[in-house]
Amino acid sequence: MSKRTRTAWLFLLPVLIFYAIFLVFPVLSSFFLSFREWNMLTPPLQAPNVGWSNYKYIFTEDRVFLKALSNTFIYAMVTVPVSTALSILLAVLVYGRRRDGFWRLLFFLPTITTPVAIGMVWMYLYRPNYGLINSILNAFGLHSLDWLNNPATALLSIMITAVWAGVGTNMLILYAGLKDIPETYYEAAAIDGAHGWRRFWYITFPLLKPAILFVFVTGMIAAWQVFDFIVAMTAPALGKAGGPINSTMTMVLYMYQTAFEYLNMGRASAMAYVLFVIVLGISLVQLRLFRRGGIESY
Amino acid sequence: MRRWVVVFMAIVALAALAVSPALAAEKIKLIMSIHTDFNREGLDDYIRAYEQLHPEIEIVKEVTPFEDYLKKIQIASVSGRGADIYHVYSLWGVELAKSGILDAPPPAVKNDVRKNYVPVAVNGVTINGDIWGIPTEIDNYALVYNKRLLREGGYSEPPRTWDELVEMAKKLTRFDSNGNIKQYGFTFLAGWESAVVHPFLAMLWSNGGEFLSADFKKALFNSPQGVEALEAQLKLFREKGTDVNGSVWDFPNGNIAMMVMAPWDENNLKTTMGERYADVGVAPIPVMKKPATALYTWFAGVGKSSKHKKEAWDFLMWLTAQVQGPNQTTRMGDYLAQRVGAIPSRKIDTENHPKELNDQYTATFIRELKNSIAEPNVAQGAEIKIILMNEIMAAWYGKKDARAALDDAASQINAILAKHYK
Repeated sequence: MSKRTRTAWLFLLPVLIFYAIFLVFPVLSSFFLSFREWNMLTPPLQAPNVGWSNYKYIFTEDRVFLKALSNTFIYAMVTVPVSTALSILLAVLVYGRRRDGFWRLLFFLPTITTPVAIGMVWMYLYRPNYGLINSILNAFGLHSLDWLNNPATALLSIMITAVWAGVGTNMLILYAGLKDIPETYYEAAAIDGAHGWRRFWYITFPLLKPAILFVFVTGMIAAWQVFDFIVAMTAPALGKAGGPINSTMTMVLYMYQTAFEYLNMGRASAMAYVLFVIVLGISLVQLRLFRRGGIESY
Repeated sequence: MRRWVVVFMAIVALAALAVSPALAAEKIKLIMSIHTDFNREGLDDYIRAYEQLHPEIEIVKEVTPFEDYLKKIQIASVSGRGADIYHVYSLWGVELAKSGILDAPPPAVKNDVRKNYVPVAVNGVTINGDIWGIPTEIDNYALVYNKRLLREGGYSEPPRTWDELVEMAKKLTRFDSNGNIKQYGFTFLAGWESAVVHPFLAMLWSNGGEFLSADFKKALFNSPQGVEALEAQLKLFREKGTDVNGSVWDFPNGNIAMMVMAPWDENNLKTTMGERYADVGVAPIPVMKKPATALYTWFAGVGKSSKHKKEAWDFLMWLTAQVQGPNQTTRMGDYLAQRVGAIPSRKIDTENHPKELNDQYTATFIRELKNSIAEPNVAQGAEIKIILMNEIMAAWYGKKDARAALDDAASQINAILAKHYK
């Protein structure tokens, strides 16, 4: 090993140690624990080996896990495409306008607010008896909705909030992507007589694909790990996060509940690995789809 | 050379002199792990008083919010930093005892608990047939009602039977022009597992049913008595005596006529209702077939990993068992009744705190101790209760009928019990 290489390793060492302690070790120990029955009260190495039974249990006997899996799937499949589509629309509308900085700031404001604060405010907006949204509905002669209190509408209510809160960040990324598109393409298109929708569909959209891919993949990863909005909006209103009757239970929330309320860290670790495989699989599929669409750089 | 030896010896002697008082003064440190709601004004006074009596002992409180308290115990145990003294919810005691976190109390402590505490509290700290700590706070449930709203509805007395309650709740419920309930005849306690499950257990036991088999191998709450109990709750929803949006926390606003509540809400009602607190009435939970209510317990115990178990048990006995003062009460009894606003579990404390415990609110809870049944200390108790809560709520929301909800809960709970009780 040359002196130059040794020096490089020396500089990298602090970061490698950091990642080894805070990433590699937890990831490996969690995999180890997913085959154990450990209640976090005894030394982990003494926890009995239960083989694949934690994995088997969550897929065959644990109804709440399957409910959490389906809720998370719905949440990700609705919020990410809707949020991305809205962000594209807003970015295109704002781009090139006078005072676009003001509009960008306006849409970005929810992002700098903590999810807990957003969740609390929306929870009050959704309140069945005194909430602002129901008051507006009542003012138009419509009946109140139970929003967070109704298993049929609770997840939808949280998804609306999540889209509202997330659209600003995505819009900024897409806005930056729009700025990277050379003006010459639009000038050439104008000479050829392309305007409006055709201009967007044949120039803006294809050239914006790298930014859209970034927004989509990172959004999908975050959506599969949703936790904060669910806790902030359902725990204070309903006492138990994930309610009513598990209608807003998501995988990370159930993982947390299994580990720290049911004292079953082994089963929670198995859930974490299932989530890891799902997120990895979805991300790979998205990358492949976008590569087919001409993006090679990811 | 000799001079250097003398200087060296002198330095060693001085160092020894300097260190020896520090060694002699090193105190026995007892870490006491409690949750925020138990950390009221006055606890420190007892701690300081004990430290004055025993200058060799220093007691340090570790206070954690209730929602993080069990996690704190877990993480502290795993990292080898377990406390010397714990104050825990009895249902957690099952895992804590099984995992070797709790020390088995000395025979003198067990005898004191058996002899001097109300029987239902003794059951509360009994895990797998053995006593694991000293009962402190006990909480049972009763019907709390708004006298003014009942009067306005034409009722001078609270309901005695569940059928009467349904009838009254229906008449006391008022709607606004948009069809929203503006005054609830009755509201269920809800939101966390004990809130939903304990009142259901009260009704189940009142109806002659059982929660689990004595050996914890089978769920029994889906018996005909259990289905009847849940049906009785559902009747309130069907007859519009309540709905799922009602919240017991709105009781102080004066728009809830009746609710099932525990003793710990007294201070909240006094503070938030002001003069209107005079409207608050408390009665036993209306019976189905016989009087019964549910009860849960908190207890104080010592960590098995503690290096000072004897000192920790001595302090706990001084705090909980030594009768003192003109009223002949214990320090823990005084603290619970006067500072925490909870029911103490030592017999002498339930009898000798007339000012605090025989008042408008708590007297009924004290009288109901004779009809109280302790929730069983079963393994995976939190998971079992959350499953039952979700199934009961599925029935409240009209997703399942009472039979299907309880059968579904029983099949999930039986799978858990089968793993722990073979």
